[in-house]
Amino acid sequence: MSLLEQISTSLQQGEDKQVFELTNEAIAEGIPAKEILDNGLIAGMDIIGEQFRKHEIFLPEVLLAARAMYAGMDQLKPLFAKEGIPSIGKVVLGTVQGDLHDIGKNLVGIMLKGAGFDIIDLGKDVPPEEFVETAVREGAEVIGMSTLLTTTTPMMTQVIELLKEKGFDSTIKTIVGGAPVSEELARDIGADSYGYDAASAVDRVKELIG
Amino acid sequence: MNTIVQFELSDILPRPEAVLQDQGVPGDRPVPDRIDAVFTQALDIFARSARPTGTISELTAEELTPIFRGEGENEADALLARIYHRADNLALFALTMGSEVSANIEKLFADNDFAAGSMLDSVASLAADKASEVFEARFFQDLSSRGLITPEHLVLGYSPGYCGWHISGQKKLFEYLEPDRIGISLNDSYLMTPLKSITGLLVSGRKEIHQCEPHFGYCSSCKHRSCQERLARLVS
Ligand code: B12
Ligand code: SF4
Repeated sequence: MSLLEQISTSLQQGEDKQVFELTNEAIAEGIPAKEILDNGLIAGMDIIGEQFRKHEIFLPEVLLAARAMYAGMDQLKPLFAKEGIPSIGKVVLGTVQGDLHDIGKNLVGIMLKGAGFDIIDLGKDVPPEEFVETAVREGAEVIGMSTLLTTTTPMMTQVIELLKEKGFDSTIKTIVGGAPVSEELARDIGADSYGYDAASAVDRVKELIG
Repeated sequence: MNTIVQFELSDILPRPEAVLQDQGVPGDRPVPDRIDAVFTQALDIFARSARPTGTISELTAEELTPIFRGEGENEADALLARIYHRADNLALFALTMGSEVSANIEKLFADNDFAAGSMLDSVASLAADKASEVFEARFFQDLSSRGLITPEHLVLGYSPGYCGWHISGQKKLFEYLEPDRIGISLNDSYLMTPLKSITGLLVSGRKEIHQCEPHFGYCSSCKHRSCQERLARLVS
């Protein structure tokens, strides 16, 4: 088994310490960082994502694998110091103002990162302006908003309206999710997309970025 | 009278199968060792950091009316509106697992220990649910010892944010019960801190008053279906 395959396998088994060591070994052997990322870490996470979709493995196993992926990525970060870790798109993510529920949002972030997106996680209780300002400043393609309360869904509308007001609604797409949110509500408030769960969030964000 | 209760940990610890099911792990397959290890870790952290506390206060239907009406945002056919006037005894409650559990969930996520963080989140949510069942049982026993329960009686809990009782009902409930005294606060969106907290109304009455068919307008968007469990308890 090649070193990159070993990284992928250890990652799938959730062995974070092994992934950490194998990634360092690969760096020492002179394997380009981008190759370690794509063919070791992301390749392993792709398999995990697929197995999760097919119900062959379950959330805790995905999360153990994600921790292993982060352990490897932390080693690669300094090698991408100038341009940052390459990604397939940048997503600004947060729980809207007035809401502090963040487990669902965290899971979405983990899955998106595992799929190769660059995630800027603003945390919870995030004001509309912060979503928009960060997305513009960081050149993000997508804003992802989460809420579990009916009383805070209007905050999602505010972000979408602010984007329109500032003329960024065609360049920055929005995706919403959380318990009171549905495909229908997303359409009504003018969001570009809706994700039922973390796995579908990945598919939907990929669709948005095209 | 407003009573403060410290819950026994052993009364509220959720069953392992329930936690794993909440984590999406089906009950019909052997649990992989590494998932089992994460469960044990989460349970251990919960046991160390939970401060399960509640407050409960009996009140009359007349006292409840303005609280239930809340900010005037309930559905016209809210389930509880048909029930509470026919009840024999009522009590409002609030309970929390404490702030340390939530801080630990956050810390686990910050340390990239996502599996344990997510598992602890499920343990704490299910423990909060169990604590509300403990309140139901305590109220039943208390009424029983006062001769206010017949074999036809059942105590069930109803919460703001469910079955047409708008979540803004939390405001008046907080004004009456003052759960701040056990460390629960409410923000402008009616969200409680600590997160793992529950409020509700305990309704003691003959079983038939709890009877309901889930065909209200608001049922179509309900993912929770807690009435199914309620109906099951009516039958048993
Ligand atoms: C567990 C739970 C609890 C637990 C823990 C609370 C917590 N969340 O920490 C307990 C029992 C304590 C509780 C209490 C209450 N709860 Co509660 N609770 C839930 C429940 C069943 C699950 C929430 C959860 O943690 N899910 C697990 C996570 C992982 O899922 P998630 O956050 O939904 O995220 C996933 C998807 O939604 C999606 N997603 C999320 N965000 C995003 C973002 C993007 C961009 C995308 C694409 C996707 C996406 O992907 C995620 C991963 O798969 C929901 C109902 C439900 N089915 O969702 C009600 C729910 C949130 N609760 C509700 C209510 C009313 C309450 C209480 C007010 C009841 C009461 N009176 O006490 C309290 C309030 C607590 C507080 N702090 O104020 C209501 C809120 C409705 C409203 N009107 O706003 C809900 C929706 C139930 C209902 N009535 O239908 N609750
Ligand atoms: S389906 Fe059941 S739990 Fe849901 S709102 Fe209707 S009565 Fe309530």
